[in-house]
Amino acid sequence: MPDQPFSLRLYRWVLNLYPATFRDNYAGLLEREFRDELQESSGTAALCRLWIRLIADLAISVPGQLAREVGQDTRHTVRLWSLRPWHTAFAILALAIGIGASTGVFSVVNALLLRSLPFQDPERLAYLSNFFAPHDSVTQFHEWRQQSSYLADTALFEPFDVNLGGSGESRRAHIVQVSSNFFSVLGTQPLLGRGFTPGDDVDGTGVGTAGRNAVAVIGYGLWQALFGGDPKALGAAVRIDGTPLTVVGIAPPGFDYPGKTVLWKPGAFSRGNNGWEVVARLKPGITWPQARQAFAAEADRLWPDRTPLQKIQSPSRLTELRDQLAGPTKNAWLVLLASVGLILLIACTNVGNLLLARTADRAAELSIRSALGASRARLSQQLLTECVLLALAASLVGVFVALWTTSIAAKVQPAPIASQAYSILDSRVLGFAIAIPVLCGLVFGALPSLFAGRVHMFEARGSSSNRASRLIGEALVAAQVMLAVILLTSSLSVGHAFLQMMRINRGFVPRGLMTVNVSLQGTAHQGAGRSLAYFEEALARVRRLPGVQSASATEFLPLYATGGIGGVFAVDGKPGRASSAVIPVFSDYFQTMGGRIVAGREFTAAEVKGNARVVVVNERFAEQFGSPADALGHQVFREPRKIIGVVNGMDYRNERNDPLDANPRQVFIPSTTPGGFFSTFVARVDGRAEDRLAMIRDAIKSVDPQVPVFGAKTMEQRLDDALARPQFYRTAVSCFAGFALLLAIIGVYGVVSYTVAQRSHEMGVRMALGTTAAGLRVRLLRRGLLTIVAGAVPGVAGAVLCGKFLESLVEGAKPANTASYTGTILSIALIAAAGIWVATRPLARLDIMEVLRTE
Amino acid sequence: MSSKDGTSTTNLAPLSPAVFHILLSLGEGERHGYALKREISLRTGGRLKIGPGVLYGSINKMLELGLIEESDDRPDPHLDDERRRYYRITAYGRKVAQSEAARMRDLVKLAAVRFGVPRHA
Repeated sequence: MPDQPFSLRLYRWVLNLYPATFRDNYAGLLEREFRDELQESSGTAALCRLWIRLIADLAISVPGQLAREVGQDTRHTVRLWSLRPWHTAFAILALAIGIGASTGVFSVVNALLLRSLPFQDPERLAYLSNFFAPHDSVTQFHEWRQQSSYLADTALFEPFDVNLGGSGESRRAHIVQVSSNFFSVLGTQPLLGRGFTPGDDVDGTGVGTAGRNAVAVIGYGLWQALFGGDPKALGAAVRIDGTPLTVVGIAPPGFDYPGKTVLWKPGAFSRGNNGWEVVARLKPGITWPQARQAFAAEADRLWPDRTPLQKIQSPSRLTELRDQLAGPTKNAWLVLLASVGLILLIACTNVGNLLLARTADRAAELSIRSALGASRARLSQQLLTECVLLALAASLVGVFVALWTTSIAAKVQPAPIASQAYSILDSRVLGFAIAIPVLCGLVFGALPSLFAGRVHMFEARGSSSNRASRLIGEALVAAQVMLAVILLTSSLSVGHAFLQMMRINRGFVPRGLMTVNVSLQGTAHQGAGRSLAYFEEALARVRRLPGVQSASATEFLPLYATGGIGGVFAVDGKPGRASSAVIPVFSDYFQTMGGRIVAGREFTAAEVKGNARVVVVNERFAEQFGSPADALGHQVFREPRKIIGVVNGMDYRNERNDPLDANPRQVFIPSTTPGGFFSTFVARVDGRAEDRLAMIRDAIKSVDPQVPVFGAKTMEQRLDDALARPQFYRTAVSCFAGFALLLAIIGVYGVVSYTVAQRSHEMGVRMALGTTAAGLRVRLLRRGLLTIVAGAVPGVAGAVLCGKFLESLVEGAKPANTASYTGTILSIALIAAAGIWVATRPLARLDIMEVLRTE
Repeated sequence: MSSKDGTSTTNLAPLSPAVFHILLSLGEGERHGYALKREISLRTGGRLKIGPGVLYGSINKMLELGLIEESDDRPDPHLDDERRRYYRITAYGRKVAQSEAARMRDLVKLAAVRFGVPRHA
């Protein structure tokens, strides 16, 4: 008979596919049948036929039996749950928060770091920051890009906002001018029409010249909005800042690079335009380190006179496009992912602990069932079903938590480009969302299952099995305390960075301050001579409104709300040493903003009107002269302007929104046209700024309805916007830490109350022998606190490691100090002690006679 | 079991072929699993070959429903393999089988009226 023992072994193994009860009852019989059949099947062909029949039989019977037993276990589980609804609700909620939050955060990490970008070979695309590719003329740029030894091709782009439409109702739109090879570098083909061809980009300024340069590729959304998706849009005209452009192509849906662009036009190159950004594709065969090395050498060759300080302050970098898009928030999201991972782990250990306690509670039931013939496998299967059901119920609730997390993330940190929109409906995220609950079910189901095995071996209510489960429970609590310590100290570190940012003196009073943007591009007021009249008229109308104390205008608002420019400027005819921001402002600016003049005075209306050669600097700029008063009279810029005032610096953070650099050197200049692209009116009002917003916006609009008026916001709203992101990270990490603490405390409470319940007989006997209830409670308290210490010690070690990691990941995060560690552990110990004291309350009410009677 | 006491026999209709054939075989006397399988195969001319998984799955379900029960009576120890289990039909099982047979008979009658009786039948 060929291979009989092998067939038999194989069949025995295959029988494991059946659920436990069926296997317990029928495995022997099935094997017996198989032996009989095997004896009757002589020859390989017969053996093959036998196996084919068996496989068909398994395919029919295994799913049926599984459905049957899982159905039974499910009903049993639901019955158990309904007996302890609070217990169950807590377990489901804890897991749901863990699963939901981690899925939500993972969906962001997935969108930013894992999902493929909508370009050809996106992993070969690079972004060159702080790098000015030769761009004085279109020929110079194209000659430069073609000679590169490490870049296959390089494209330039410059994003800016324009008034789109021109005639009739115009609106603000984000557009970009690009070198003619922009689409080919990214490897993107227009949906309709064509991209740009060599010669479309020209030498020129502003929005370009007529002819070949006056063409545009419009985004899919704009095509739908302006032309209703009509292919006849090709050849039609759109106006940007009053200049007509012919539509030659429609971008594919979802393509909006760089960031929310609705229209692309061929570039106009001019000497001195430093607004270009650079995207490039690596040459085949060139590795990233090779490319970085070649790029650094090229940057040094192009600007040999850069000082080491300049190299440190604004280093030229070649980064993967994906990393550039994810930006500095990438690390923050990784920290959040690690935090939610820890939360999930704590939730799992907690639920594991609860189940363990309950399994131990059910020791009698399990022992009886075991005595009645239920095997260890059967009991484990039942427990595992319970765990998986718990995880599934939690993941259903978790879907809502995940959706909520994703929607908050989209508000706080919008996706840089449309194709990176955060969504949980992504194969990788869904895989994660399914794998995590199953993994959780297995993690917290494993311990009770092991315990079920022990129950099978020990006598019912055996003291050794109780002790074992208690020890496992305590070990789990210690693990939770360890994780909670890590999370709490991490939240302190991140919170420190945030608090520092909140304590900054912003140099202006946001309360009662409101802001409105206008753009004169392409309107009748464009140009130095005409815009002054517009600003004077608009400000006069605003100042006449009831409740308005003062009004002014500026090009750049604090908090980098409307951009910024800067450079290294000469002081008293000598080259400057550090870069400063330049902020063109109208008269009454500091009075309106609530800025404090430290020395000298601010600009008069006459100085603004007469374009006087004066400046006001901030205290940090004035430091180089000694005291603020010493700065007065010094000269700034190559064409010198006299310093007439020193103000307390305003919070003009840099474009990275970096709180550490919120107050750089600032030079305010008087300007009749505060705003090359667009300007911001500021007004200080009595009472709530929100109430006056519409009135002031309408007053400005009434000067000329053709001028787009937008961005009407109170300064407090802008402050919220600027701080929303760091506040979100801090709140998220603090919430996680608080939740971790809560879970750890519930864990301690659970273990102690379980101990009290389990050992009430023993405690009663001890009390009968003379021990007081208080003595017993103190003993339990000591044991509970020992568990806390056992978890806190490795927790501090982990927190020190995490602190170092956080310091490198989150700017401004400081590793926690000894006081924070001590404070954290003491507060955990105190809250836990209170929990233990409450949990041991039944001991004080223990009736010794009752206990002894039952004995 | 409620099915034995209160549940109508028609609630289980239609029975699966495997269940009905097992009831048919046990109607004649006690059998063990392997005997049941061989008998069913013989009765159907080899057209219905029940695999061991389906056989014991059906037996498991029939035990739960109270259609059959395990028999403690063992045949002559010389002929018996103690690892085999014998089953016998219960009174409730008999009723269910009767009811199923009646259902089939009504169905056959209706089909004869609609389509006529084939000549080779």
